[in-house]
Amino acid sequence: MTRLAIHQLGKTYADGTEALRDINIQADTGEIVAILGGSGCGKTTLLRLVAGLDQASSGTISVGGQVLTGTHPAISAVFQEPRLLPWLTTGANIAFGGGRLTARDRQARTTALLDRVGLAGYASRWPRELSGGQQQRVAIARALIGHPEILLLDEPFSALDPVTRASLHELLLDLWRDLRPTILMVTHDVEEAVVLADRIVVMRPKPGRVHDVLPVDVPRPSDKALPIFDLMKRRVTSAIDRSLADDRPPGLKSGSLWLSPWV
Amino acid sequence: MKLAWPAPWITGLILPLTLGVAWELAVRHGMMSGRLMPPPSRLAASAWTLARSGDLAVHALATLGRVAIGFACGAVAGTMLGMLTGANVTARRLLDPSVQAVRAIPSIAWVPLFILWLGIFETSKLTLIGLGVFFPVYLGVLSAIQGVDRKLIEVGRVFGLSVMSIALRITWPAVLPSWIASLRTGLGLGFMFVVAAELMGASEGLGYLLLDGQQMGRADTILVAMIVFALLGKAADGLLVAVSRPLLCWQDTARTRL
Ligand SMILES: Nc1ncnc2c1ncn2[C@@H]1O[C@H](COP(=O)(O)OP(=O)(O)OP(=O)(O)O)[C@@H](O)[C@H]1O
Ligand SMILES: [Mg+2]
Repeated sequence: MTRLAIHQLGKTYADGTEALRDINIQADTGEIVAILGGSGCGKTTLLRLVAGLDQASSGTISVGGQVLTGTHPAISAVFQEPRLLPWLTTGANIAFGGGRLTARDRQARTTALLDRVGLAGYASRWPRELSGGQQQRVAIARALIGHPEILLLDEPFSALDPVTRASLHELLLDLWRDLRPTILMVTHDVEEAVVLADRIVVMRPKPGRVHDVLPVDVPRPSDKALPIFDLMKRRVTSAIDRSLADDRPPGLKSGSLWLSPWV
Repeated sequence: MKLAWPAPWITGLILPLTLGVAWELAVRHGMMSGRLMPPPSRLAASAWTLARSGDLAVHALATLGRVAIGFACGAVAGTMLGMLTGANVTARRLLDPSVQAVRAIPSIAWVPLFILWLGIFETSKLTLIGLGVFFPVYLGVLSAIQGVDRKLIEVGRVFGLSVMSIALRITWPAVLPSWIASLRTGLGLGFMFVVAAELMGASEGLGYLLLDGQQMGRADTILVAMIVFALLGKAADGLLVAVSRPLLCWQDTARTRL
């Protein structure tokens, strides 16, 4: 069943920058869709529109058939930075995301989530006393406390080291199994996309458009040793390469320098 | 071996204590008259006399009362107007240029007009103090509201907070540190302006004591009043800091002491 439907979405900023044109993406209930693409191709813009933080210039976004006009209670988000409120303790930051729960529910869910993200003893710490990875875990817990149907993630792990990142991938999948929210996540990391997503949308810049959509045929939990995992990674990488290649001046088309961020 | 050096605040006492003792000795041995610059012992004696007669308490309380009322009025007005212009663009465009223009006038320059309008009694004094407190608080609140991190506001929006809840749960706590800093600046200016106000003419208050000391040629009275001013200002500031400390314990700043 289609949960999230993005239809012919376009966004032109006030300064005339056309960030998105004719974006069509559908995601089913419980599906994880990763969005990949070069810098500046409108990935953050897309998520901001879905989150209701910005107004689309054209097209529609609908959740369960209902067209969105702003923020939506069923949609929650984790940003690239943790964005914890510095004046709230860890526990209160998590509870902040559960504004629609009853006070008792919120309290119970906060305690349960603190435990789930491995910060059981940290409820009364200030955000400044947490490491980057711990802060990002709190942000994930805050996004999940209100039982969102749709979770938006904008490069949430990009600032973390590979080991922490891998452990947060597992945590995310683990939490996803409880509630099965639809996840729309932006990433720069091909491996991350292949590990987490059911489908990968590759975008292309100037203006941001959908270049290619690749289903991920790797069974979950994905075993990175399997040949299919590497094959998938290579297919995604070359799709990204092509998405940029179309944009290059002729004569430079096979220049491998352009691949550098992803190789 | 490293010498055990006493607590840092003791280091700060060395200079004033040395000067005090040197001055005391110089006057005792007849090298200086000490009439215009009385030595510590004479200051202590006058302070004691003033305190025992109850005069010092009367004057100090009068001054404190003026500062308290003026500060409260100026701080409330500055906070309210700063919140209004910070929250509403139209209000800002309408009001801020005028406030800034009035701010360009040195506040003491208002004294003659205030006396003309409000008389030489309490009202004009309190108005002057309130005006001095108003500007730093207004500016502090306005610029703090404008400086609130848009990213944190967005967190509130994503999690479905109303405009009012965002103001209360995100903007307000974010503004709090600057607000308290501006209140401290305001309080300092309040003490500055109470002197000006009391020098305008008053029958009680530490400012009156200053003027009285000058007219009677009593440098010791003047100095005692000055010292009491310093102590009261410091105590008021310390009180403000102590009251606000629990509100700011989340802060992650270089200032371990506010
Ligand atoms: N507020 C804004 N006003 C004007 N132009 C903007 C604004 N925000 C983004 N843009 C432009 O829109 C385009 C897409 O930006 P966006 O941030 O969505 O890219 P992105 O795909 O998230 O890039 P990155 O991978 O670097 O995060 C860029 O050309 C950017 O310059
Ligand atoms: Mg981005």
